[in-house]
Amino acid sequence: MRGEKMTEATHATGQEAESSVAKKKAKTLSEPVFAWLLIGPAMLFIAVIVAWPLAETIRLSFMEAGLGGEEYVGLANYQDLADSRKFHQTIVRTFYWMFLSVGLKLILGLIGATLLNAAVPGRGLFRVLVMPPWIIPMAIGMIGWLWLYNGYFGVLSGTMMSLGITDGPFEFLAYKQSAFYSAVVADVWVGTPMVTLFFLAAMQGVSRDLYEAAWVDGAGRWYRFRRITIPQIMPVIVSMSLLSAIFTFNSFEIIWILTEGGPRAATTTLIVDTYKTAIGNFKFGEGSARAVIIVFLLGVFSILYLQVLKIVNRKYGTK
Amino acid sequence: MATLNLNAINKSFGSAKVLHDISLAIEDKEFVVFVGPSGCGKSTLLRIIAGLEEATDGSIIIGGEDVSDAHPVDRGISMVFQSYALYPHLSVYENIAFPLRVQKLEKSDLDGRVQRAAEILQLTDKLDLKPGQLSGGQRQRVAIGRSIVREPKVFLFDEPLSNLDAALRGDMRVELTQLHRDLDATMVYVTHDQIEAMTMADRIVVLNGGRVEQFGSPMELYHHPKTKFVASFIGQPNMNLIPATVLGVDASGIKVDLKGGHQMVLPVETATVSVGDKVEVGIRPEHVQLGNEGLEISVKVLERLGGATITYGTVGGDTRFCASLPGDALIEEGAPLKLHVAPEACHVFDAAGDVLRRKAAPELVA
Repeated sequence: MRGEKMTEATHATGQEAESSVAKKKAKTLSEPVFAWLLIGPAMLFIAVIVAWPLAETIRLSFMEAGLGGEEYVGLANYQDLADSRKFHQTIVRTFYWMFLSVGLKLILGLIGATLLNAAVPGRGLFRVLVMPPWIIPMAIGMIGWLWLYNGYFGVLSGTMMSLGITDGPFEFLAYKQSAFYSAVVADVWVGTPMVTLFFLAAMQGVSRDLYEAAWVDGAGRWYRFRRITIPQIMPVIVSMSLLSAIFTFNSFEIIWILTEGGPRAATTTLIVDTYKTAIGNFKFGEGSARAVIIVFLLGVFSILYLQVLKIVNRKYGTK
Repeated sequence: MATLNLNAINKSFGSAKVLHDISLAIEDKEFVVFVGPSGCGKSTLLRIIAGLEEATDGSIIIGGEDVSDAHPVDRGISMVFQSYALYPHLSVYENIAFPLRVQKLEKSDLDGRVQRAAEILQLTDKLDLKPGQLSGGQRQRVAIGRSIVREPKVFLFDEPLSNLDAALRGDMRVELTQLHRDLDATMVYVTHDQIEAMTMADRIVVLNGGRVEQFGSPMELYHHPKTKFVASFIGQPNMNLIPATVLGVDASGIKVDLKGGHQMVLPVETATVSVGDKVEVGIRPEHVQLGNEGLEISVKVLERLGGATITYGTVGGDTRFCASLPGDALIEEGAPLKLHVAPEACHVFDAAGDVLRRKAAPELVA
């Protein structure tokens, strides 16, 4: 077909040639139209579930909005947040929560993936056993953790008492510090399997020859891990830490089920604060301002991460 | 550099025995090629020498020292892998320097060795590039460079050219042979390609089913194959094997009746053969000439290569026969053809596949 058209064009002269060119142009134009038709439904879907709610959130953030109606207040909601020491503490706490939790997930994920990747008997079974925290519904998992952290019935408190670490029952979720770190542990428990499995998949993609060549050259286990495994899976580590950071930053259910952000806001992260303000107190305008700030912070964070990814790819990439 | 001795090496994977009593004595500075079909155990044998696999039985002596239980790095070997095993995230320089970094060598010494290896392999202007930016042949050289800087007693190569295209493979064969001469090193090289074996080796080990079929120089294997397997494996195109019956035995050799009706007297040792025995007569495609009488073949396909015409046909109805004839030979597909075969060029194999030694084979070049 294509050959025939080319032959026609070669023989065409004068007006014929012009009409042939016009025909060709029409053909070329139809390709983008076809492409738009293909991605149109997806674009529409994104517009309805992402773009419109986002635009509405931004609009509401300039309003004093509640159940009774809306009133335009300009930047007042943002001004209030800028002046609020409590809000500043929430931002700091959220980043601390995120870095601590993601850091632990990455470290444990690396260790777990390394162990699961090792040629040990029954590793298939271990690979399956890693999954439950990820596949158990979050609410059920967190009810389990509530029981574990319970001072009177919980295994942890009981064990601590029997070991003489505490004199009486210890309510993990009742004190500011212990509640925060208990929530971090539960979040790490939920998030580590995914990180582990991604790292494991990346490690399995590293050619066995590289390890054998290094072994023949005298490189020990730690040297091989440091000089081969880590650089080879570095792009996955960086991508995974970005994904994990976003999930953790926005992690709501875990905190809400365990502590509802308490005690005394010790576990209130930005997302919990936003929910409490907008849904708990029906202050939709103030809540929206918080949501916009979350989007902004995550946007900046993502851009920085993409820069890091570029550097990593330059350093550890193949070209 | 050093000698390499393998003593009664056996290897089993579970109940499957893959190597049977392999004993070899490889001389200092020798280039030895392990060749054989897929699954013959050649790579396993090389990996045992490297220390990447453990032998079930037997010992490995390098430079007079028993290294059977030694860690690979303490064996004084270096290995070039089929996949090159280059670290994609490291530059050419760092890839070559890798073994020296492991050894924590002084920076100046390290740099000197890397630069020297790069010079030998013409990689000096590529040191800052990453393996992904190199051609197949250049990557191969980097892998060799990483071996050279170790200054090993024995170099091991595991099918290093199999990922290259035919033209580059030819070039690299020459480069490796040259490198062997320049380094004056003991090298053990694994391949399934008999052309690589013939062109590069000082001596060839032909492996089949985990056993050594024959260990000798390329021309020794060509002129004096000990078994039918070696005879048909070495040489391109493959040797023709025609079933025959022994009609007579005397001091000059044996008289055979070849399938298709042609009879010949072949000058071979007769100690293990008697009248009526079934044998196979091996005739190399390049050892036949066009003639008015002799072996009659029915021509099926011609491949005109210019300098030669590879002629494929059958003898006695269904036994395949290949002849390498002059490029401009006046022959046609579908036509019968008479071929003259010199008796002294024929090989004879008994029913067990062992050769009856030829009396009139060419003398071997020392």
